[in-house]
Amino acid sequence: MAAMREILRMAIAGVLALGACAGAAVGAELLLDDPAALVTSAPPALLGPITETGRTGWNCAPERAATAKTAAAAGLPHD
Amino acid sequence: MAVASVVALAAVTCSAAAQNYSRPTAPPRTTDAGALAAQARDRLVHERFLRGVAAEERGDWSAAESEFRSAVALDPPEPKGSSARYDLALAETHLGRDDAAVTLLQEALHRDPRFAAAAANLVVIELRRGNLPAARAAADRYLAFAPDSVLARYARGLAALKAGDLATARADFRALIGADPSYAAAHYDLALVELRAGRDDTARIELDRALELFPAYARARFALGTLLMRDGRRADARVAFDRAARDAADPALRALAIDLRDRL
Repeated sequence: MAAMREILRMAIAGVLALGACAGAAVGAELLLDDPAALVTSAPPALLGPITETGRTGWNCAPERAATAKTAAAAGLPHD
Repeated sequence: MAVASVVALAAVTCSAAAQNYSRPTAPPRTTDAGALAAQARDRLVHERFLRGVAAEERGDWSAAESEFRSAVALDPPEPKGSSARYDLALAETHLGRDDAAVTLLQEALHRDPRFAAAAANLVVIELRRGNLPAARAAADRYLAFAPDSVLARYARGLAALKAGDLATARADFRALIGADPSYAAAHYDLALVELRAGRDDTARIELDRALELFPAYARARFALGTLLMRDGRRADARVAFDRAARDAADPALRALAIDLRDRL
């Protein structure tokens, strides 16, 4: 069952990657049969560069984002 | 009067003379060969960081890779050693060499086990390339030393949800909502957890909340449409798919929403 669901998800991922109208129709069928195949929100973005002295002081943007307590401060995706 | 004039002239002359000569170079504080070599290495590390970060900021990842590889080879002390590996990993992943990036981030975390940005980027790379067991292991480690980090919570929630560990995903997205109730994506992901668990009513509440916070959230609107369609509420589902089609930035999602809308 889990393997079947994984195959369905992979098929939908393929459809989303192609974005073709014909493919969309197939993807729609799959989604209606298995709503659990809906894709998750976007993964977080990579944090940016760190300077030579960045982590010796308080003003290191990537470290601040990595330990932030709100989504905006952490730079989490909107969707 | 004459004496005062002479003194003033002398002062002006001395001042002018002092301005004509640069300050002498400070005498060396050591002649020890080892200390001088260490100073030279520090200056090289400094220069590699300056050039490497500048290259990263302008998106020249090949140049950044070269600079930070040299910095790592100089084996600077902490925290520069782990920072150099972090920056080199950033260059490597942008050059498509995720295996190398992962190894470098693991080395950085070995040198500094509480290096949160390195832990975060390690999870992101593993999630991006679909290595869910590795993403989960990295996220567990990240969350263990940064339990209040919403990024750590979000990343582990995603890794758990994608791997089918609904209990952990539910706990993580609930904790994320507890920390930041206005974050719409956490409500959306929690809705997915509940959908996969067969708890449609709870999923509906979370989707409604996500859309209340972010009305143009196309993915959430689309999910709501599928839920309404399964409940037999075709007219409401059609409205949801129509709105999702208008709000979607992703052309594939837009095509799916239009296809479903047109069937109703």
